[in-house]
Amino acid sequence: MKNKVSAMMDGELEKREADEIIATLKKDEDIQENWETYHVIGDALRQSEKLSIDISHRVNVQLSSEPTILAPTIKPSQSIRFAKQKIFAVSIAASIVAMVTAWFGFQYQLEPQQMIIAERPSIESNRPMQPVMVSTPPPSIVYHHPAAEINDYLFVHREFLPGTVTNGQTVFVRPAVESHKTYGSYQDIRHP
Amino acid sequence: MISNTSLNMFFPVKASALQHILFRMLLVLSLTIFCMQKVHAEAPPISSNEALSWLKKIAIAPRVHNYLGTFVYYADGHVESSHITHLVSENREQEKIEVLDGMPRIVYRDNDQMTCFLPESKRVYTEQRWFRKFFPDLLPQSLGDVDKSYHVTMGERERVAGHESQIVLLAPRDNLRYAHKFWIHVDSGLLLKAAVMDADEIIEQFAFAQLEVDREISTNLVEPGDTFDEIGWQMTNLKTVVLKEGELPWQVDGAPANFKKIIEMRRNLTGKQDLVDHIALSDGLATVSIFIEPFNEHSSPLVPGFYSSRGAINIYVRSFDDHKITIVGEVPFEAIKQIGDSVFNQQLGSVAEN
Repeated sequence: MKNKVSAMMDGELEKREADEIIATLKKDEDIQENWETYHVIGDALRQSEKLSIDISHRVNVQLSSEPTILAPTIKPSQSIRFAKQKIFAVSIAASIVAMVTAWFGFQYQLEPQQMIIAERPSIESNRPMQPVMVSTPPPSIVYHHPAAEINDYLFVHREFLPGTVTNGQTVFVRPAVESHKTYGSYQDIRHP
Repeated sequence: MISNTSLNMFFPVKASALQHILFRMLLVLSLTIFCMQKVHAEAPPISSNEALSWLKKIAIAPRVHNYLGTFVYYADGHVESSHITHLVSENREQEKIEVLDGMPRIVYRDNDQMTCFLPESKRVYTEQRWFRKFFPDLLPQSLGDVDKSYHVTMGERERVAGHESQIVLLAPRDNLRYAHKFWIHVDSGLLLKAAVMDADEIIEQFAFAQLEVDREISTNLVEPGDTFDEIGWQMTNLKTVVLKEGELPWQVDGAPANFKKIIEMRRNLTGKQDLVDHIALSDGLATVSIFIEPFNEHSSPLVPGFYSSRGAINIYVRSFDDHKITIVGEVPFEAIKQIGDSVFNQQLGSVAEN
């Protein structure tokens, strides 16, 4: 089998035979290891700058956690041309920003603590911002009502008490459209 | 008027250099203020002891006072009023809550034994009360870490349902819970009004419209008696098997700070064959339930996603290895997502592997 793998890498096998090896490769982990080892050996012999390393796992992890970024890219030549002209403008802008910041800073310091609490119960200033999960939303989201069990769950969660509005056992539930956008997709995990 | 020359007399430097110095001074000044604010934000303010002692009164009042009254639940433009009768005797608390609007519903409670009658559909549900706290008995006896999750401060005094009340504010210390505002009866410590708030917006509110405290109440007002004969009524026991800590294969390892597991159980829901696993977490104020049940030929199809019910309740449905996981709680979406995504099976391993 090892010989056949080696032969396939060198392009010496018939299509039918190659298909057979590929099918085996998919199933057999030992053969997969051979396949990877032969590639590393091959790269080493050819003195490639980069050895074949397995990055599939890292790429998958990266893809699943990366947000989709939709932002226009600036051509490098443009940015260099403008950069020099901008320096002067930026320095003026910076001093204005500094002045405004200082002014607001004083305002903030002078405002009595009591006032903040009375007017803003959530007290943004006390709130260490927690990272909000960002993941790629599915390309098209179909909203359905969740399964009927949710009614039972709500009933049990609130122990039948007021607030669980039961209308002949149907509890008011609506899909949260905004949260799909904000929090990305739900997790759907299956073990092989 | 000061001319350019006279200005140069006082500041013997070039105008551009002057600008430069001024700019630097401003920069240093603004940086200093920025740092001061940073320090200010990093040291969380400590809750007022006076306000915390008012919260303790809320927890104790239903153990020591009889009361009778009508309260209103308000959320999303929907109003529902209920009549409550609460009787305390030695080591025993009995209560009757009758929902007056919409579908009739009467709940009797005898210590932790709950019985719910639905006269229209002639159904009776019985259940052992597990923890949930309800208006006006909203807070647990031991407040524990409430101060770690909420900044508790004193508010003003206000009149509610003809009674003098003290306002106490609970502002969340992170974005994983809602704010709460309590109006507390000055004489008895009973909760007269409670609001759940998202920043400035009230998302759910309970309030007494009328209340009598310490009135003599006869036991037949808080017992079902023979009003409900058992003929023709369909009884469902939502029986609960309370499990030991860690006995369920399902565990949660990423709940927001100070959310503690109250109970884990295996329960019967509306006479289904399969039992449903139920884990409940709480930070003392908000409660989150996690329900886990296996898919089988009887299951209705799974529709994962986020949902919101009336008021503060948010729902998150997801799947995990042929099981359906549903998280229900009075917390923001960030929190139910965080809790839901951290559910794992001790036998199968964590979702974090992915």
